[in-house]
Amino acid sequence: MDFGFSSEQQDIRQLARQILGEQVSAESLKAYDEYAAPRFDRALWRTLSEAGLVAVPVSEAEGGGGFGFMELALLLEEVGRSIAPVPVLSHCVGGLMVLERFAGSDLKQRLLRPALAGELLLGAAVLEAGNEDPVNPLLTRAETSGDGLRLNGSKQAVAFARQSDYLLVAARHVDGVAVCFVDTRAPGVTLQDCQSTAFEPQAHVLLDNVEVAAEYVLEPSDGAAIMHWLGERLCAAHCAHQIGVADAAMRMAASYTSERQQFGVPVATFQAVGHRVADCYIDIECLRLATYQACSLLHDECEAGVETRIAKIWAGDTGHRVNYATQHVHGGMGIDRDYSLWRYSLWLRHNEMTLGGSSVHLAALGRSLAAGEGLFA
Amino acid sequence: MKIQFTSEQAALRDELRQYFRALMTKELRDECERDMGEGGGPLWREALRQMGRDGWIGLGWPESLGGRGLTPLEQFIFVEEVMRAGYPFPFLTTESVGPILAEHGNAWIQREIVPKILAGDLLIAIGYSEPGAGTDLANLKTRAERDGDDWVINGQKMWTSLAHFCDYTWLAVRTDPEAPKKHKGISMFLVPNSDPGWSCTPVHTLGGVRTNATYYDNIRVSDDHRVGELHGGWKLITGQLNRERLSLINFGPSAELFNATVRWARDTELPAGGRVIDQGWVQMNLARCRAAIECMKLIVYKQSWAMTAGNLEMADASAAKVYGSETFIELYRALGEIVGQAGLLRDGAGCDSARRLERLYRTASIITFGGGTNEIQRDIISAAGLWMPRASR
Ligand SMILES: Cc1cc2nc3c(=O)[nH]c(=O)nc-3n(C[C@H](O)[C@H](O)[C@H](O)COP(=O)(O)OP(=O)(O)OC[C@H]3O[C@@H](n4cnc5c(N)ncnc54)[C@H](O)[C@@H]3O)c2cc1C
Repeated sequence: MDFGFSSEQQDIRQLARQILGEQVSAESLKAYDEYAAPRFDRALWRTLSEAGLVAVPVSEAEGGGGFGFMELALLLEEVGRSIAPVPVLSHCVGGLMVLERFAGSDLKQRLLRPALAGELLLGAAVLEAGNEDPVNPLLTRAETSGDGLRLNGSKQAVAFARQSDYLLVAARHVDGVAVCFVDTRAPGVTLQDCQSTAFEPQAHVLLDNVEVAAEYVLEPSDGAAIMHWLGERLCAAHCAHQIGVADAAMRMAASYTSERQQFGVPVATFQAVGHRVADCYIDIECLRLATYQACSLLHDECEAGVETRIAKIWAGDTGHRVNYATQHVHGGMGIDRDYSLWRYSLWLRHNEMTLGGSSVHLAALGRSLAAGEGLFA
Repeated sequence: MKIQFTSEQAALRDELRQYFRALMTKELRDECERDMGEGGGPLWREALRQMGRDGWIGLGWPESLGGRGLTPLEQFIFVEEVMRAGYPFPFLTTESVGPILAEHGNAWIQREIVPKILAGDLLIAIGYSEPGAGTDLANLKTRAERDGDDWVINGQKMWTSLAHFCDYTWLAVRTDPEAPKKHKGISMFLVPNSDPGWSCTPVHTLGGVRTNATYYDNIRVSDDHRVGELHGGWKLITGQLNRERLSLINFGPSAELFNATVRWARDTELPAGGRVIDQGWVQMNLARCRAAIECMKLIVYKQSWAMTAGNLEMADASAAKVYGSETFIELYRALGEIVGQAGLLRDGAGCDSARRLERLYRTASIITFGGGTNEIQRDIISAAGLWMPRASR
């Protein structure tokens, strides 16, 4: 039982915090508000890549940084802390990690190597209209076509779809679930931009008789296990991002209320205010511990279904409570777009709801308990 | 970062679970039940001595102090398992006052008191609160006055739990009435409850648990009975309370109660058909409890790890206390809803979870204000954890 960080982990976190602290500011984020420009800072992305951070979860043998999911989680926490406009989550989890784990050497050569070299951007299309379970695609169908697959259907609200070169797509196949990478510029692929609450670049992906060559198919029909693996990691990754967002919002609230005076004293000295922020501290500690537990288990490829759900439940509950508590103790300033809290509020909501809110995961956890799983050791 | 037991820790847990299965005989269980889960009976005392002989009580204590030299985490695994087994473990003596005595006690205490604590042979009650000193503990009035080489103690304490069967009281007294700041004039004593000047009367509480008012009438003790520096008692009190806070939050019994309730809900048919657990709202309640207890577990493991690593943060200890105490109450509600009417029946109508919940909900409020009230803990979190200024008191 070890809750500490290795010196490498501390270095990764420090490096990320330094780069993001220097290159992301309220001023720089302003450029993307209301989709004035796509929320993707390419210069920052390059810096992160060159610093070796984007490759963190991939082994050295595959040309990566030689770390794993836990280290990526620490990076994501920092991305959340700065709400940086970079596709770390979708590219690293949905692209790099899946490829390293499930692709053959040929596909690694085609996608993983160039992605690590910064030549390709990857992502994952896992949500469908009304269906947020990555393991169980319902609105995207795959049929065998020659050695490869033909895809029809649609995916909803895919992060960085337009900026990505290839997207992981899961589709229902007569024999199960097919998983492949789709070239976003292939014939039959239409990207329909959509506007999302936190200004993340997103698009609906429409697939009309899209041919996927065998080389880009990860699994023609038995891909549920891949999607299960990916779904858990995407969930945990959102939780890690949420830690950073929530922690930053709480610290903003703590310092604002320590400065802001009413009745001749800092408002933080009103116990009702101090206690509301203290409750954020407790919530965030719970989120942090639940998330680190899930991530460290996933890092070691251990079974972590229950632990990951619990982390996502906390990401939802903590996100919701911290969101409104931090706005509230700021008074009007909390929602003033000239102050920076409001963007954090959007991201707290984004992480709370993406891949299922708390109730979705509570219900699933409840079903597992009814099925005889998930008791305490 | 590796949030899993090592194989040694897992083996220790299994060994302890086995050990307590054997130790908790039917007779001992019945006796503990009769004593409202507080202990104090003859079988209970003998079982404690047995644990002492078997070397469990000081598992995580340094060998130089008579322990087995493992870390606070192993000590914590032991406490979780003993509590989980339903044995009312006197953790205030062993986990909170004991270590303070071991660290600050004089030669007499090191020789006469500490070994007996580790042997399960000596129990200590905590005498802080008074009728006029609750949260504002530094307001206490019980006093010790020098008389030759001895001290003479007079006063009254309130809520002195377990005192009616303890051997000593860990007593906070005023030794310097002139001190400019109230908390600078307090010293700590270990007072024998066998002294003729010591007496107690019972105070009965909602949960059926007895506590006491204790009286100190010209009790004369030698200076050996004083612990730590003269007028320096406040530091020992806060040190003890920090440890007490950690030992108040046991997730073991909650995890066990949760498992038992899930099993019951899985095995119990509703008269209208289907199992209790097939109801959607029951699954939601259970899932909420599962997620809440998981974090209680992680918080307390992290505390034990931090104690081992020597970097326990004050704000985190307070967060654990607030979270744990308030979570207990929510658990007893959510699980109580599931067992339903049976949870209002004192015998639980054949459902063991219901029987336990009927009592637990009545005792649950004690630690939201006891052990340092949650308002003060939240003050500590915002001040020590987030550097927020707070109003002067
Ligand atoms: C069953 C039981 C067992 C106990 N065992 C022991 C024992 O063994 N030894 C011992 O010494 N004591 C013991 N206590 C006493 C316990 O520690 C006190 O009850 C506790 O310290 C609170 O003090 P009080 O009851 O005087 O409440 P008060 O201090 O009068 O508090 C009343 C309310 O005011 C609030 N309040 C007080 N000050 C503040 C503040 N600054 N800011 C915001 N809110 C505030 C409190 O949170 C509480 O809600 C026990 C109590 C009980 C009921």
